[in-house]
Amino acid sequence: MTPLSSRDLRMVTLCTALLIAVLSPGIAAATLGEPEVSVQADSAKLQSSVKISDQSLYRLHEMTLNTGTVVREFVGLDGKVFAVAWHGPYMPNLRQTLGKYFDTLASAPRSGPRDRNHVQIQQGDLVLQNAGHMRSFSGRAYLASAIPAGVAVGDLH
Amino acid sequence: MNFHGHMNFNVRALRATFGAAVCLAVISCGGGGGSGLSAPSQPAPSSNVVSVIVDSGPSPTVQPSVNTLFTSVTLCVPGSTTQCTTIDHIQVDTASFGFRVLAAALPSGFTLPVQTLPSGGSLVECTVFGDGYSWGPVALADFTIGGETAASLPLQIVGDSRFLPASTDCSSQTTGPEEDTVLAFGANGIIGIGVESSDCPACSQETGPMVYYSCTSATACTETIVPVADVVPNPISRFATDNNGSFVILPSVPLAGETSVTGSLVFGVDTQSNNQSGTQTVVFVDPDNAQLTMVYMGTTLTDSFIDSGTNGIYFSDTSLATCSDNTSFYCPSSTVNLPLSIDLRNGGSYSTTFNVVSADTLATDIAAFPGLAGTLPASLSGFDYGLSFFYGRRVATVIDGSTTSVGTGPYIAF
Repeated sequence: MTPLSSRDLRMVTLCTALLIAVLSPGIAAATLGEPEVSVQADSAKLQSSVKISDQSLYRLHEMTLNTGTVVREFVGLDGKVFAVAWHGPYMPNLRQTLGKYFDTLASAPRSGPRDRNHVQIQQGDLVLQNAGHMRSFSGRAYLASAIPAGVAVGDLH
Repeated sequence: MNFHGHMNFNVRALRATFGAAVCLAVISCGGGGGSGLSAPSQPAPSSNVVSVIVDSGPSPTVQPSVNTLFTSVTLCVPGSTTQCTTIDHIQVDTASFGFRVLAAALPSGFTLPVQTLPSGGSLVECTVFGDGYSWGPVALADFTIGGETAASLPLQIVGDSRFLPASTDCSSQTTGPEEDTVLAFGANGIIGIGVESSDCPACSQETGPMVYYSCTSATACTETIVPVADVVPNPISRFATDNNGSFVILPSVPLAGETSVTGSLVFGVDTQSNNQSGTQTVVFVDPDNAQLTMVYMGTTLTDSFIDSGTNGIYFSDTSLATCSDNTSFYCPSSTVNLPLSIDLRNGGSYSTTFNVVSADTLATDIAAFPGLAGTLPASLSGFDYGLSFFYGRRVATVIDGSTTSVGTGPYIAF
């Protein structure tokens, strides 16, 4: 049997993701704190390909944006997104991925000697951490109380 | 912590102590921020040398800067020798690419021509930093720093009222704040002299990064592909000579800190007698993102960087106490000296140590404080070593594709 080329593998991955999306209404990349809804809508908004994988304690939706940035959305078994993480050369649209929490974070007070390349915000249950510089960003936002038992904060990346 | 306790900060006192601080810095060679570094010698004045300073910044009483390196530049309307302005407190940043100036730092009536796209729209840029975003048009200026010049340099004018408000695309990439004023930006501008020759090479091929926009009015902006010549370049790459990189040379700083520190920015690497590499330790960085790998306490951190534009040392160590009133910073009960290894990407590694001093002990009038350190989640895989790395070192930054006597960029060396 001829080994699959990386192009074939990408196609298989894409088809698998689409098949799961079609056969499993409710499985979708969505927005922090909200239910899994249409993967197509969010993915189209972010111009990405999507890969969905079942971990034992959550489902992981991994979107690779056309800029090369990878966005991972962590969905609990209750069907709600409890964390979003990103890594890559350009920031993703956080207003889209953080939903109603975006404005909360944007208006949160900052303290300490402000640094251009690092930010950490904690507003009660809500945590945002971002680090990086031009051409390389890495960060995440999560709802601490919604992290499933058995999942470490360190797994959210 | 008393980061906002600089209200009694006295600029006159700072200036009075400035000369003394310089003298002390010279006398106290070998302080090395406690790392045992010897202070590098400063070059004599020359056309490829400009002085740099770490001080409390452009808003010292309201928002004093910490570990922030500044210099001055002169901008002229292209082709003019009379319509010029010199601007101080331009942040020197080795982790971004391109020159940006705050519109508010330009004198009234000083107008630079905004770039127009083939489509007829004005070219406007969204610049995203880790903590916020800046928005403003791309314009041209004859650019001078020290004795180096770049004619008709594309640069960004941040916070130009003709193009505000920022597009939602731009404001959606971080949770802010918008950094379109001198106070919010923390500088009158920024000179990005990192290892890349422009700020978005991909932007001349495709849309998607949400960096460049075509605006037909302040509120009608759409992302656009940009002609290569209009992408904002690393200004060093546009110099006639000395255009392959630079050295930042700063004295060592005692752990108690200094109210100000002066040093040099030298342009070119191995192009003049005053910028020879000599025997340097070379760290090749990832050509895609300028990142490098460090090892801290047995953990390999593949997403690390060394950056004059970062004000602290950011890393994860759950054994270190964080500050009671701000858990983003470390407040050990006494100074700790910690080991760090940097992967040179050539099979070798460089070992050093660094100090963490309680952020609570940062005195109100201190601008250079080598032991300032903050937390960074381990899962983000980074150790981010800011301006403190540069204290007591002579650090070269060599642009991607440039070859010197010790290697081909992108690399940093010290």
